Amino acid sequence: MIRFLLGVVATVGLLAGCASVDGRAQAADAVAERLFAAIDAGDGDAACALLAPETERSVAEEQPCAEAILDEDLPEPGQVTGTWVYGQQAQVKLTGDTVFLAVFPGGWRVVAAGCTPRGGGRPYDCEVEA
Amino acid sequence: MRRFLKENSLGVVFGVLFLVVLGAQAYAGHATFNQQQLTEGLPPISLGRYLTSASFGADVAENWQSEYLQFFLYLILTVFLLQKGSPESKKPGESGLESDKEQKVGAFADENSPAWARTGGWRTRVFSNSLGLVMGLIFLASWSAQSIAGVAAFNEEQLADLQDPVTWSQYLTEPDFWNRTLQNWQSELLAVASFAILAIYLRQRGSPQSKPVGTAHTATGIEG
Repeated sequence: MIRFLLGVVATVGLLAGCASVDGRAQAADAVAERLFAAIDAGDGDAACALLAPETERSVAEEQPCAEAILDEDLPEPGQVTGTWVYGQQAQVKLTGDTVFLAVFPGGWRVVAAGCTPRGGGRPYDCEVEA
Repeated sequence: MRRFLKENSLGVVFGVLFLVVLGAQAYAGHATFNQQQLTEGLPPISLGRYLTSASFGADVAENWQSEYLQFFLYLILTVFLLQKGSPESKKPGESGLESDKEQKVGAFADENSPAWARTGGWRTRVFSNSLGLVMGLIFLASWSAQSIAGVAAFNEEQLADLQDPVTWSQYLTEPDFWNRTLQNWQSELLAVASFAILAIYLRQRGSPQSKPVGTAHTATGIEG
């Protein structure tokens, strides 16, 4: 009986977790949109502040991140067409781009951007990634 | 209280052990999850966050479903199937649902029989199969919970690997779902088969799951 009750509690907990997904998705959308807005405005510092640490390091391999991010071949800002949030990860699809994010102490940070699908179950090909 | 504990020590001890081991699983699972997070350049998460994660839910549910399936199958199959020499089996010639007299139902119920064993009709039919029904329902519920938590955990990994998430129905055809399911099923089936057969030749003195020590290997359906 204890096992059964714990099972019910676990299932209710999982379902309750779904209720907060909308808020988390909106937060992920906002970070993805802010990244493209910052790049569009030529504000490399603001854009780099939205990158995950490993991604920022990868971008800054040859020149400072704030300069390098503006040189990346990222698309123009587009409309969000869909967002998926699972645990610590999120995917935001915009017109012309797909962005992957993860949760960090300061909130959502962009792990990869400028991503295009390669098909065949392979990972997206991303302009910016860790 | 002492008397209650003495008379219910089997359920109490297993219940306490379950909670202790579930806690240990949570602790180990949390450490494993955070190792993976660090490998991917992501920050560790709190134990509280892990306990409400799909990863923990899937890990727990996949084991629950297989345990309840094991007991459900054992309960149902031992009605009809025999294993000569095993204390877990009925004697040859006794397989099947048995007569109302042997099962003390309907007119054959005695003064101590549960009410639904006495009333007849659908109530007696339901009560006659209530243990299997509940075990089967818990199996289905926990297998469903595994699939729901499993798709969320799988999709979290998909996104971390820069891949698209899948729907629940797509997940049911994914190797991840069937690998989680079948690896548990095979181990439960092996444990039941080996126990039923080893109990023919081996003994555990004092245990009702074993034949009495001096009982012949060929004796079937005799519990110690």
